[in-house]
Amino acid sequence: MSKLRFLLALWMAKLSIPALKITRHNGTDFPGSLALRICPQFLKYIGKPGKIIAVTGTNGKTTVSNLLVDLLEKNGKKVLSNRAGSNIASGISTALLKGCDLLGRPRQYDLAVLEVDERASVRIYPYVKPDYVVITNLFRDSIMRNAHPYFIADILTSAIPAQAKLILNADDLISCGVAPENERVYFGIDHLASDVTECINLIDDVRICPHCAAKLVYDYRRYHHIGKAHCPQCGFASPQAQYLAKNVDLEQGTMELQEDGACYPYRLITDSIFNVYNMVTVAAVLRQLGFTHQQISADMAQSAITATRHSQEKVGDVTLIKQMSKEKNALAGSRAFDYIAHRSGCKELLLMMNCLGDTHHWSENTCWIFDADFEFLKDESIVQIVCAGARRADYRLRLLMAGVPDEKIICEADEFRAAEKLRYDAGDDVYLLYGTDSLALAYRVYDHMKQQALLRQNKEGQA
Amino acid sequence: MKIEVLFPEICNLCGDLMNVRYLQQSCPELQVVETDLHTRPRFLDEEIALVYMGSATERGLELAVQALEPVKEEMEQRIAQGQLMLFTGNALDALSQGVDSDNGWKLQGLGILPTRAQYHMMQRHNSFYLGKMGEMDIVGFKSLFGHTYGAPEENELFRTVKGIGRNQQTALEGFRIRNLLATYVTGPLLVLNPPLARYLLQEMGAGDHLAFEEAAMEAYRIRVAEFAEEGRSYLY
Repeated sequence: MSKLRFLLALWMAKLSIPALKITRHNGTDFPGSLALRICPQFLKYIGKPGKIIAVTGTNGKTTVSNLLVDLLEKNGKKVLSNRAGSNIASGISTALLKGCDLLGRPRQYDLAVLEVDERASVRIYPYVKPDYVVITNLFRDSIMRNAHPYFIADILTSAIPAQAKLILNADDLISCGVAPENERVYFGIDHLASDVTECINLIDDVRICPHCAAKLVYDYRRYHHIGKAHCPQCGFASPQAQYLAKNVDLEQGTMELQEDGACYPYRLITDSIFNVYNMVTVAAVLRQLGFTHQQISADMAQSAITATRHSQEKVGDVTLIKQMSKEKNALAGSRAFDYIAHRSGCKELLLMMNCLGDTHHWSENTCWIFDADFEFLKDESIVQIVCAGARRADYRLRLLMAGVPDEKIICEADEFRAAEKLRYDAGDDVYLLYGTDSLALAYRVYDHMKQQALLRQNKEGQA
Repeated sequence: MKIEVLFPEICNLCGDLMNVRYLQQSCPELQVVETDLHTRPRFLDEEIALVYMGSATERGLELAVQALEPVKEEMEQRIAQGQLMLFTGNALDALSQGVDSDNGWKLQGLGILPTRAQYHMMQRHNSFYLGKMGEMDIVGFKSLFGHTYGAPEENELFRTVKGIGRNQQTALEGFRIRNLLATYVTGPLLVLNPPLARYLLQEMGAGDHLAFEEAAMEAYRIRVAEFAEEGRSYLY
């Protein structure tokens, strides 16, 4: 009966695919969603490739998954992935059913790379048992959904199958604590000149030893709890990374990856440490799969990190920059603010990381903005901040509390009018900070910003 | 004049510590002292204008209770003497009889408040809160694993206008026992409620000046009006 139900679910879901294409709704999770509705144990019965790599974690899982798939395909591997869909059960189901024949048998894939939402793992891993689970990092995310990172770590510990080998970030003591009985390898980044020992961020979730609760001592710290720590009381310490990035030079765009004492040169494809972590993560996975450093390094140098979260273009005399900063996510905000503050030149910012969905029916829980390091935005190089949308007054108050002078702040309810209030001074970098919820609106506002930038310069030219 | 923050190394979720920063920015003379898990709380031995404790992880709550258990009786004495204290979010659970969770986790609380929480770990409760403290409108958010039950219908901190009180069956929210103020409302309660921040400053004898008053009041008025709108549901 269960198998019949599964086949019915599979056929109905497969039938929905051309229907969705005709109606231009392809790319949604509807097929997987339908399959799960008809057969809740769909993931149990659907055929899977022989090798499965699951990529999870708070930040970087999309970047890591995409880069991993790119590099594997570059090497001729046939990879099944959920790149086009979501990372919850319906998205995984959609990806798997597209990769199966009408009897649910997997087509000839070499392996699957599945991005998996941390909370969704309890619904996925009982049926889709990965050979490798990559955890990029665990940070605070939406307090509404994810509460705190230790809650997520507990969920992962309970959901990850015992036979899965973990590929973990040695510099993140929260993810290092996941599923302690599982076999594991670690990646990391060695001490950097920019590292500190005392935390400068508001979010610092590993202040005490997980074993004896004594205050941890950080040998170095990159941001938040990312770094290398030890407990002076019980001897607990960050693990050694088998794959360790050394001599990272963001200006020259180079690093070395150390493994078993030998160092291998790599060219960076990013100017942010966050993405260096993503590169090292991908290299660690590929090493586990048997690729050589020479292969990985050469292929990676020709790859790009998909610019869905950061893109920039020169418009007249200014540089317009789209910078995603996920709403409800203090960590994402802090990382974006830090990055912006440390870039050279003068900057103007338009903040619209609002939960648009909440605006009409509920009211956004703004606790996250009091966890985010708005303090970075008091940097003198940031000359103007326009706060848009329903939460503009909250942003203003938070910015004032962070030490940003009131004269730099403008509040405007309408996002398009907010775009008109930016200065677009020649030579400035003009940022639009937006969240996933405001994605569609952000693109339209960005177009408006482009028009405004050109208009402003034409006026100045005529004057 | 001092504010003592209990266990900031673990009790710091949801932007809670901004409550203390806002008070300090409002009254720069206020000295903030942080007490860690291994140090005897200072309010037991010296004059402290306000004791504050914020939200923690489940493990954090256990550690906080372990740290306070040996001084529980002294703490109760100080509460009876009128020590001003503010506990926000699940810090309230540390003061309670305890917590039972549907995943088997249990917390034995300090037993100071006559209430016991029930957590549902995979069904997080999210809501906004509109209530009253006297004539004062109170706004905030709840993002919790559950609610607290069994307390007599008295000693509330807020009266709920829209939202959920201690649990779904009561309009009473939080607890007030003399000057011990404990609420399930999470996060930057005082930043979101400048009148409440002013009230606390006055109770502390720290004057009535509010930092960024105009900006804080504007955000507060917008939120009070928004929460009160008909058709706007408090449940996420």
